[in-house]
Amino acid sequence: MTPVARRWTSALGTLAIGALASFSATCTNNPYPAADQGRKVLYTAFEEAPKTLDPQVSYTTVEHAFTGNIFDTPLEYHFLKRPYTLIPGMAKSIPVAEHLPDGKIRYRIEFLPELIYADDPCFELGGAGRKTRPMVAKDLEFAYMRVADPKVVSPFVDPMSNVLGFKEFIERLEARRKSDPSFVTKPAHEQYAAVGPIEGIVVVDDATLDLVLDHPYPQILYWLAFPFSTPVPWEAVAYYNGKDGHPLIQDHPVSTGPYTITHYDKQARIVLEVNKNWYGYRHPEWKLPATVYPSEGEPGDAEMGRLDAAYVGKPLPFVERLEYRREKEDIPRFNKFLQGYYDASGIVKESFDKVIANGQLTPEMAELGIRLEKTIEPAFYYLGFNMMDKTVGHGGGEKARLLRQAMSLCVDTKEWLRLFLNGRGVPAEYMIPSSIFGYEASYQNPYRKVDLDKARAVLVEAGYPGGIDPATGKPLRLTFDTGDTTVDGILRNQFFVDEWRQIGLDIRIDATNYNQFQEKLKKGAHQVYFWGWSADYPDPENFLFLLDTAQGRVKFGGPNDMNYSNPEYDRLFELMKARDNDDERMRLIRELRAITEHDAPMIDLMFNEAYSLRHQWVKNVKPFGMSTPMTKYRDVEPEIRDATRLAWNHPVMWPAYTLAILGIAVTVPGIVTFLRERQ
Amino acid sequence: MLAYVLRRLLYGVVTVLGVLLFLFILFFSVASPDNMARRAVGEKASPKVIENWKKEHGYDRPLWPWQDPKSNLLFDHFRKALTFEFGKSDADSAPIVERLKAGAGPSLTLTVPLFVLGVLIGVPLSLFVAFFRNTYIDRMGLVLCVVAMSVSILLYIVGAQFLIGKLLKWFPISGFDRSIAVIARFVAMPIVVGLAAELGAEIRLYRTVFVEETSRDYVRTARAKGCGEARVMGRHVLRNALIPVLTNVVIQIPFLFTGALLLESFFGIPGLGSVTVDAIQGNDFSTLRTMVYIGALLFVVAQILTDVSYALVDPRVRLE
Repeated sequence: MTPVARRWTSALGTLAIGALASFSATCTNNPYPAADQGRKVLYTAFEEAPKTLDPQVSYTTVEHAFTGNIFDTPLEYHFLKRPYTLIPGMAKSIPVAEHLPDGKIRYRIEFLPELIYADDPCFELGGAGRKTRPMVAKDLEFAYMRVADPKVVSPFVDPMSNVLGFKEFIERLEARRKSDPSFVTKPAHEQYAAVGPIEGIVVVDDATLDLVLDHPYPQILYWLAFPFSTPVPWEAVAYYNGKDGHPLIQDHPVSTGPYTITHYDKQARIVLEVNKNWYGYRHPEWKLPATVYPSEGEPGDAEMGRLDAAYVGKPLPFVERLEYRREKEDIPRFNKFLQGYYDASGIVKESFDKVIANGQLTPEMAELGIRLEKTIEPAFYYLGFNMMDKTVGHGGGEKARLLRQAMSLCVDTKEWLRLFLNGRGVPAEYMIPSSIFGYEASYQNPYRKVDLDKARAVLVEAGYPGGIDPATGKPLRLTFDTGDTTVDGILRNQFFVDEWRQIGLDIRIDATNYNQFQEKLKKGAHQVYFWGWSADYPDPENFLFLLDTAQGRVKFGGPNDMNYSNPEYDRLFELMKARDNDDERMRLIRELRAITEHDAPMIDLMFNEAYSLRHQWVKNVKPFGMSTPMTKYRDVEPEIRDATRLAWNHPVMWPAYTLAILGIAVTVPGIVTFLRERQ
Repeated sequence: MLAYVLRRLLYGVVTVLGVLLFLFILFFSVASPDNMARRAVGEKASPKVIENWKKEHGYDRPLWPWQDPKSNLLFDHFRKALTFEFGKSDADSAPIVERLKAGAGPSLTLTVPLFVLGVLIGVPLSLFVAFFRNTYIDRMGLVLCVVAMSVSILLYIVGAQFLIGKLLKWFPISGFDRSIAVIARFVAMPIVVGLAAELGAEIRLYRTVFVEETSRDYVRTARAKGCGEARVMGRHVLRNALIPVLTNVVIQIPFLFTGALLLESFFGIPGLGSVTVDAIQGNDFSTLRTMVYIGALLFVVAQILTDVSYALVDPRVRLE
């Protein structure tokens, strides 16, 4: 080797060894700073960036994961009890319907004392140097006025329209804005004050607000547990207007809740930390239902360790910081969970068989200390018939009704669940899920038990013997409309088509993109389709309204995509809707069920069963089913997590050394040859 | 030269207008304003809420000029693009300029090192294999390049996440942190993947150019004059082969700003590529228009710059 070649080789070798040494000293797959070690931080992934954290606008599950931790509401849900039970939150007690002499109904919300907003610069608008202020009832009135404001585009206008004078307030506001274009430039609170209050929202004093309705609407209590019912300070809306370098209110919520946002980069990282102004944090001695860990739950909770004496009665929250990182793809997210960098996870379909066997964790996963939680979600899936269609709908009369019943008798939900959802789901006999009043385990829908002989007989009665349409002499042809064009989706739907083919029907899948499918539903241009509904609140009304005429999709834009219409159903539904849960309500539900069974506008398919995984160091987990996060009840054991992460994530360095040696072995002869040639 | 540049600029304007028109037709043939509203305010929103959203975002007007010549979405689309009025996102009403500012940093953190390393590694390696043409090194390089070109970038991504992130545990599987102290940890693996995916094609291209150049008369003359091979390759061949290299390099520059769609998406990097993917998935027409418009403008400008740079690096080229 020449001296030059020696120098080059030596230099390259030194460089490679230096680079390797520095690489092996610093390389780590830990995505979090070392300073996080030992701290009570809960690490969670989010897939989709929240669009808005404005409490009066935010409605999606994605956003509720954050807003549910940030905003306090007058009422909340009990962490453990099922069926779902409301508990007082900011309110001293659960409001009761008071029937006033003039026939109106009043719900009085009495707030706890000393509810204070998290510190925020916006409060300087109320006085120099002010960092916060107490919450007053007027703030909830302001929040509801924002719901009414068409410029806010709140999706909660409809339920709040049950409140007296709500629609009139909207009309006054719109009229004023139309007549005076400069009016809209004023701050929102000034505009609202100028057009006058909403008749049915009465601020009695700083700690009391009345909601007045002219008809019974018991469901309003559930809306009081929604983030849109959180009080909003006018200062926040006026200050966070996107001007003078201030963000928009949708990106900078100001709240009284248990957590407050300290870092909001919604494309990558969101951090929530304990709000030290939260009433539960400042007054642990109050031991209110929403500020301490509960002492009772449903049967089985104690056995599952959810009523651990170490937690019962202890002040909330347990975790000091909630760290959310954005993960757009399932597989990296799941792998990071397996490395211990996320505390909880769903199961990716690619790894399902590795994680779950016979409905339980595989021994491999159990050895890692991973726990499996299962819950039946209040989410109902069905095969619907468009009742506006002349073959399968109202226009087809008795013939169509029998055809729908025959088709219902063919669909084997259990097999479908086994094939396509790894058995994660419960066959549905009726719309109401088990966690909600109105569910009866004993009920068996006679048309939801697979019986092909009976289906064929019903089809004969319908006038389609052997599935043949007498008008054409060929198998009756129907269309299965879907907005899912993926291979998985087509296979899932092909299953139904094959089931119906057994009785001679010729059903073709018409798969379009999701937007086009939505257009079909809007115009009533669909025939048979697969669809679902997840509960907004745990009341049977929130499921049974899927067949209410007033909720028809084509005529009224509601969720009744079947466009089913039956005056008797509507009458009974209104009676049921207006009642609290009692025997009479149960009787009404049974009558509604009988009508649905007879008319068969839908084939009840299943309730979704969610599987979720968590690591052993995460405590107090009970899947809620609906989107409310319940994070303030959770706890983590950072010592166990740190030790486990360390044990699981030692970098494997030998391939780096091998690669370096190989690289040198290949490059050096080349360089030597090159230099020799040059000489 | 000026006439040429002006003519190219004119073609560029036509190209950009065509892109904008194509985007409008394509977008509204798969999504209606109702779909956009529903995606923004939630599937369960009532018709009144949908109408409110459309009114607030200006989508309550007809699409085409023949439906309403004075107020329609097509004219509005061109007006906003041509006046650089990017406005607010249709998905979340956030100012799009802010989104661009926030996304540019992460994108450039990934794309600039990828671009620079691609050139710094690609050109010398091509020279290296060209130097050893028709030897085992050349043939081995050729096979490796073809293999590297044939593999989908998705396989590189998933493979690297599995091998480097999960098995070897060298870097985080995905994620991003804007802190300078740790940023390298998050972009190292996407850069390695990006390089692996692009180097094969680049080395093949550059090698072909270099090998072709080595058969020219001036190379023979240089050798006859007694120049060493390194000098021949490094000074004469490289300089004369710069035009195709430059074309390939300059054409990549616009994509530095528009981000890397797949890499950003899979590695959780909140860059402009990720913004574009979100806009497509979220029926966010305003953001999509901005991204496509900027991409088209940069592409046209890069094309013109490439042509101009030909004349600068090669006196034989005359732009007329």
